[in-house]
Amino acid sequence: MEHGKILLVASAGVVAICAALSGSVARAQVARPPSTGAPPGAEAPAGPAAPATPAMKVSAAAAADLKSGDPGKIRGALDEIRMAGKGPGSQYAGAIVELLQRGVPGSVAEAALDTLGDLEAESASPVIAQYMQHRNVKVRQAATKALIKTKGPVAVRALRHALSDQDPMVRGVAANGLGALKAKEAVPDLFLALDHRINEAATSIGMLCNPQECEQLASRIGKFPFDVMSGGIEQALFRPDVSDDSKIKLLGHVRELGTQDANKFLREALKKWPKNGSARVKQSLDQAVQATGGGA
Amino acid sequence: MKTILGGLAVALALGACGAGQTHPNLFATDWEDDGGRSVAAIRAKIGAAAPPVGADVAVAVAGNSDKLVGIPLAGGTAWTFPHAIDVRPAIAGSVVVGEGGGELFCLDAASGKKLWARPAGGMVLHGAGDDGRVTVVSLGQSGQGSLLLAVNRDGSVARQIDTDKSLGVPAVLAGYAFVPWSNQYVSVLDLTSGEEAGRILLRGQVSHAMAVGGALYFGESALFRFDDAIKGASHDQATKLTVPQRELPGTPMLYQPGDQKLSPVAAALDKTRLYARPTSATPIGLDSDRFYGTYFRLAMAFDAKSTKLAWVHSDKDDIVGGAAGPASLVLCDDSGAVTVLDAATGGVERELSLGGPIKSCVVQADGLAPSQPQPPPPLATQISAALTNRDAEMVAGQRLLLREMATLEDPSVTKTLVELASNPLTAPLLLTDARSAIAARRNGAQYMIEALGRHYDFLHDVLLTPPVGPMAQALAAMKNKQAAPLLASHLLDPADTDDDVKQAAAALVDIGDAGQVPQLREFFMLYRAAPDSEDLSSAVTSAGQALLVFGGPDGRKVVDGALADSLVPEALKARLSAIEQQLEAQKGPKAPKK
Repeated sequence: MEHGKILLVASAGVVAICAALSGSVARAQVARPPSTGAPPGAEAPAGPAAPATPAMKVSAAAAADLKSGDPGKIRGALDEIRMAGKGPGSQYAGAIVELLQRGVPGSVAEAALDTLGDLEAESASPVIAQYMQHRNVKVRQAATKALIKTKGPVAVRALRHALSDQDPMVRGVAANGLGALKAKEAVPDLFLALDHRINEAATSIGMLCNPQECEQLASRIGKFPFDVMSGGIEQALFRPDVSDDSKIKLLGHVRELGTQDANKFLREALKKWPKNGSARVKQSLDQAVQATGGGA
Repeated sequence: MKTILGGLAVALALGACGAGQTHPNLFATDWEDDGGRSVAAIRAKIGAAAPPVGADVAVAVAGNSDKLVGIPLAGGTAWTFPHAIDVRPAIAGSVVVGEGGGELFCLDAASGKKLWARPAGGMVLHGAGDDGRVTVVSLGQSGQGSLLLAVNRDGSVARQIDTDKSLGVPAVLAGYAFVPWSNQYVSVLDLTSGEEAGRILLRGQVSHAMAVGGALYFGESALFRFDDAIKGASHDQATKLTVPQRELPGTPMLYQPGDQKLSPVAAALDKTRLYARPTSATPIGLDSDRFYGTYFRLAMAFDAKSTKLAWVHSDKDDIVGGAAGPASLVLCDDSGAVTVLDAATGGVERELSLGGPIKSCVVQADGLAPSQPQPPPPLATQISAALTNRDAEMVAGQRLLLREMATLEDPSVTKTLVELASNPLTAPLLLTDARSAIAARRNGAQYMIEALGRHYDFLHDVLLTPPVGPMAQALAAMKNKQAAPLLASHLLDPADTDDDVKQAAAALVDIGDAGQVPQLREFFMLYRAAPDSEDLSSAVTSAGQALLVFGGPDGRKVVDGALADSLVPEALKARLSAIEQQLEAQKGPKAPKK
């Protein structure tokens, strides 16, 4: 359960932003895989997949409705396709892309982008990226969210560009998305974003940083509120591809803070430290917990 | 009776023993216009006598209004006179008259040396005049009338006159005191007899008498010269100098009413002043053909004939006092800096210091010899510097300067306007003005093109889009095709305003070509079914028009597709259809097939 708690803290930004975007937590969770209780960065445990909900069928009229020119019918068809999900809905991705390429009212565009996101069709990324330039901020928010799911180089390029968007929500979702898409090439942009108070960038940097970049992230501890930085630190701490030395340096920076928040973070990290994890890092965690025990 | 008793009490308080008697008919309101006879007789008696040239000095109230600091404008050592200061001091001829702590005192203007001091008797200094031998001082107290003192250099009172009238700032020449009162009269008092030897009825507001450049003047918002024409004053035939009318920020005054107390601490009215110096020539004119207006940190000079802005000087601090001198304007700011500017160019001739921050300042520059000014930058650069000040209180002055600047043909003006309109710190009113001015520019296209290369960029701190709409209008008017790709890129920048996008699309119809078709198509696609505002609808219409004009068959296909799409609003379709038909008509009837 403790693992779950930590993960909740780490991805609080993602959930909050996506929930605000979609208006429902259930839809927001699509932005990131639901918590498995595993530490961030760890591979998902192998095993039987969660029981799938029975696939809903798309009615025969859906294809025609998409081309109907009637906003109500189009939205209805899009809802159906979304409900049907990635499997049965995928065959409609092309038609939705065509719809967007032709031009639709803002509300229809939002629904179409949401649907394309749920269909996770990378082929849709180029047209979604075009809607990242839309003047309607809700359309841009929907496009940003969709790109995280449709993925691909086009999505990464558009999300990097979106870090400079006027809308803080678009910027925040884009920062999260670049982490989710493992866009290592975006780390310099993410640092710039973090320095411009796009707090979501910290977690993504923690997910992607190389040793030097992880050190850069650590050097920002103390300069930003700890709750901003903790997501990134945790991501780096539990990543198997980050060296023990880098992790120990990170912990050193946290230890130097000496605050109660730092101590709490370290204690929780220690609790969930894998049994087969690095003994050196665990020892460093132990010492850091003790050193910060009397923190203010 | 009450007034007389009050006056007597004041006289006693001042201890004016030995002073001349007050004539009972002074300042009578039943006076009848004598057609200028009395004043003509006075002029005859005065003959060639003229006021001596006054000291060139700046005098400030400093500290906690507990000292005066003075500095000769031609250079020299600053002086300090510690004394309580309750009202703004007055410089008259070669002396400075001040008041504070119940005492009236007179200093030598050049050195600050005390010449005399007397009890003020509860009255407040209004102003003073001096002819090198006698200093006349008017004092008043609200509701208690006024007191006029003529004091010799040794401090003895030559004449003391109290009255229930409110007296303005007096002058003195050849044994006569010239005393403005009731906003229309100047009574000429014979200081020997104490009688009113003559009276001038002026057709204009008058509360000040002063000596400038060897002549006497009366007035407040305009100046009347004491010359032979003065005898026709009641028939509005006096030699009159009016400062040309023109728009100025803050509605500045040439002089504040002379029959009122001026605080020792400068207020907003002191920072928004009009300055002008009359010439001694006939016809009368403005020295150096200049008049000046200050507005907080700005000093502006205007051509007397055209009233056009000649130059603008930007001070680091608020300008709290000054004077127009011969071929110069002298300013002091609240940091205690005194600057002498060349009237013709605005170039700095001298910079002096009163030693530290000041509360207020009075300046007299009567015989100041000009010196070589530093060459000032071009007017456009001067205005540009003035516009960079971000103080909100400066906006009214800056708007005026911006309008002045917009009339200049210099391409650097375009650069300044674009910079102003691209700066998030620019005040909203100034931003609107700058955008309007940019739209009307017909030069400086290179600066516009450079600016069009910028887009909103949060990560790189570009937090305001450039003024795309106005630049699009200007560049289209200049037929600048180089701008077309950049304008097209702004169609797809969501940070640009709807109006900017509208203007960019409209400009592309004029200066665009096939190179911009991809952006036009994308823009048309994004908004043909979602033109959320009238501006955006216009922009989509223009984009459609551009596609029809230079988009080739594919462009036509895109527009026709929209015409057939039920998601596209009917109003937009109607516009597009009309354009299509118009373009078809322009092509003329198709040639019959052979």
